[in-house]
Amino acid sequence: MPPVLVAAMVLKVFFPSCCSSADSGILIGRWISEQNAAVILAVVHFPFIPVQVKQYLGEVQRVTKVTVSVLGSWSNSKQEKEESLSEFLEDLGTIFCHDPWIQISKEGDSKFWSCSTLQKHSKNPQEEEIILVYYDQRKVMLSHLHPTLDTAGQGAEDASKLSAIFDTVARSQVLFMTDRYDEGPIKLTHWQSDGVEASIIVELMKQASVPACMLLTFLLSLVSGICRSRVLKFWPLSFLWSKLSTCEQLGHRLQHLQIISSNKKAQNQTQLMRYEVHVKLDVSWLYSCLLWGAQTHVAEELQDLLQWLMGAPAGLKMNRALDQVLGRFFLYHIHLWISYIHLLSPFIEMILWYVGLSACLGLTVALCILSDIIALLTFHIYCFYVYGARLYCLKIYGLSSLWRLFRGKKWNVLRQRVDSCSYDLDQLFIGTLLFTILLFLLPTTALYYLVFTLLRLLVVIVQGLIHLLVDLIDSLPLYSLILRLCRSYRLAGESLSSAPAALQSNMAGAVLGGWSGWRSGKGSSPEGAWPLPRLPREWSRPRGCHSSRAFGQRCQGCTGWDCWGVCEVLRVGLQ
Amino acid sequence: WQKVLYERQPFPDNYVDQRFLEELRKNVHARQYRYQAVVFQSGVVVQQLCSVCVFVLTWWYMDAGMLSPHGLFGAALVSSLLGYVLFDAVDGGAGRWASGRTRWADLKSTLVFAAFTYGFSPVLKTLTESISTDTIYAMSALMLLGHLIFFDYGANAAIVSSTLSLNMAIFASVCLASRLPRSLHAFVMVTFAMQIFALWPMLQKKLKAQTPRCYVGVTVLFALAALAGLATVSSVGAVLFASLLLAISCLCPYCLIRLQLLKDNIHGPWDEAEIKEDLSRFL
Repeated sequence: MPPVLVAAMVLKVFFPSCCSSADSGILIGRWISEQNAAVILAVVHFPFIPVQVKQYLGEVQRVTKVTVSVLGSWSNSKQEKEESLSEFLEDLGTIFCHDPWIQISKEGDSKFWSCSTLQKHSKNPQEEEIILVYYDQRKVMLSHLHPTLDTAGQGAEDASKLSAIFDTVARSQVLFMTDRYDEGPIKLTHWQSDGVEASIIVELMKQASVPACMLLTFLLSLVSGICRSRVLKFWPLSFLWSKLSTCEQLGHRLQHLQIISSNKKAQNQTQLMRYEVHVKLDVSWLYSCLLWGAQTHVAEELQDLLQWLMGAPAGLKMNRALDQVLGRFFLYHIHLWISYIHLLSPFIEMILWYVGLSACLGLTVALCILSDIIALLTFHIYCFYVYGARLYCLKIYGLSSLWRLFRGKKWNVLRQRVDSCSYDLDQLFIGTLLFTILLFLLPTTALYYLVFTLLRLLVVIVQGLIHLLVDLIDSLPLYSLILRLCRSYRLAGESLSSAPAALQSNMAGAVLGGWSGWRSGKGSSPEGAWPLPRLPREWSRPRGCHSSRAFGQRCQGCTGWDCWGVCEVLRVGLQ
Repeated sequence: WQKVLYERQPFPDNYVDQRFLEELRKNVHARQYRYQAVVFQSGVVVQQLCSVCVFVLTWWYMDAGMLSPHGLFGAALVSSLLGYVLFDAVDGGAGRWASGRTRWADLKSTLVFAAFTYGFSPVLKTLTESISTDTIYAMSALMLLGHLIFFDYGANAAIVSSTLSLNMAIFASVCLASRLPRSLHAFVMVTFAMQIFALWPMLQKKLKAQTPRCYVGVTVLFALAALAGLATVSSVGAVLFASLLLAISCLCPYCLIRLQLLKDNIHGPWDEAEIKEDLSRFL
């Protein structure tokens, strides 16, 4: 396999950025021999007893199933270079036998690092190139690049190389649980060595969530059981449910709540991400005030409109008699509607108040209720539309049929065509009489139809907009969006799994803090200056309150970190 | 040389011999008309023109209030009954027997006419209230013109459609009736239109077939009556209408016969093939 041969030349060392200021010690991590890469996880400080280190690593390996071993030595000499230390570090290589033995050293505050490898079985005398990759342990651990069980595809070879490294860091979480305040045989430096990141509120919520979820699950199963019962499936009720968008939305909400509160493990993280946060708006008072005012106003406006139609609207030649009849019919309908509303008015405000309380289930439910209330309160417009459309349809159908009679033709149903036909005299006479009458009455009916269709269309458009908004809110991955804005590195895995290979390396580079490093000859001193990111020192500084040690947990606030992290990632990505 | 293509001959394909023009025929389908016959046949057109004229005159009188609807209805009723009796008397009931139509059916049709027209007359009266009078006049004139164009004068042409012609006349009558002052006027007007446009041509056809002399007399009388009526309204119109009738009944036949002499159709073996067999049984 040619790619492997090429890769065998280059040794990749993944170095955690937090360890750049650590004291001298030995590097522990995982050696990935297929990729010829070393993932350094932590630095063990002097003094230590080699047996204890091996024992500790064995324990870690047992828990994490990651082959953690001692990979090399790290020397951070504050003053001038000590000859004895470097010799001692080379000797360590014989104690912890590892091939190749990586030696990284940093002198004082200088930006020059030296990196070399020792190979005991040096079969190939050629010079080996070393790439030092600087990575941020916290971000790499929290991003989702490490392969999930269900999405381990065969196609992404390049991605799997990177994800092996990500996976190594993520799985060795146990290693990061100890900090320097813990009493133990060995001292480690890693991203959490200044204090384990935790939050009191999160811990308390974790404790409380289990019984709460159980209670919620029980209640929800009760509610869904009632909803599924057969009593609600009979004709008039099922028809009503299908017409009301609120019921549909409530069903969705119930499903979401059931999934969230269930104590089964989520299949994948992305599924949980979809359950977005819903904004609670107390719009109950809004309904009762606004819609109530609008309702009476709409009825009055309709009355005015009908009065206008009963005159000579826009100078159109309307049939006055039919116009009056239709106008009075619709006016009577509005009169009925207004009296019905007045009859209902003492209760409706209360009903609207209680219905408005259900808005606490989320903005979408509130919007759906609004849509349904609009539908119920514009029922008279719907009725007008139906009357107008029926009348118009009848008239058009009659006219088309009588027009054929006028020409002495008829519609042949069997042949699906227009045939000529000889009509009787009385048929002709009555047909033509009706044709004339319908033709002269057509503009009046058409105008009523047009006006009420436009009104209906207006209501439908408003309802459609509300539904569009609801669908938008329902399908908007709000949690993912917030995560993208605040902690974009956590989404690296999601986008990586679907991005092409060339893009993937770039994106992973952004997460790793830039592919910065140098290529040097084996054993030679560094030739290029390495622009050391200022990130690590800031990163590992504890921000939390150390006074909270009384809780037995040293806590660090998270928010300040994340903002800083976003800035850093953006900055590095731009570079 | 033989006039066949299936045998090889020492002549070119387009060769013709001296006998070619022997087969020339002239004016094969030209008919020789007699002047009197043509004048007699033109009576249908005169009759129909006079019918339209009488209808419009009646509407004019009714609109001006010079003719009461009761009087018109009575006259129309009497003339209709006379016509009905005459319709059966002319051919001795042979046509009725052939069509198989009973008197009960006639009565039913009459009742349907009367009931529908009477029932719809209030609607008809207010139907075109908001539409301008000129529009109505234009529409009626157009419809009556269409009635005259599409009427079945006995010619065998594609444009002829007695159904469309009658429907146009009814449409025009409804339009004009809606301009009358009261609903009774509208009812009488539509009934009269039905009689003059639907029933009167049927009687004419039968008279023309059975008693041609009588038919000529009736036509002349009808034309004179229409002219007299028109003269009371407008003398210029009466003169113009009289000249139109004379032109149609005397001048047009004369022209036809004179122009017939100039006819010079040639027929010969060069004509395209013509299917002589009657193909209507395949349709």
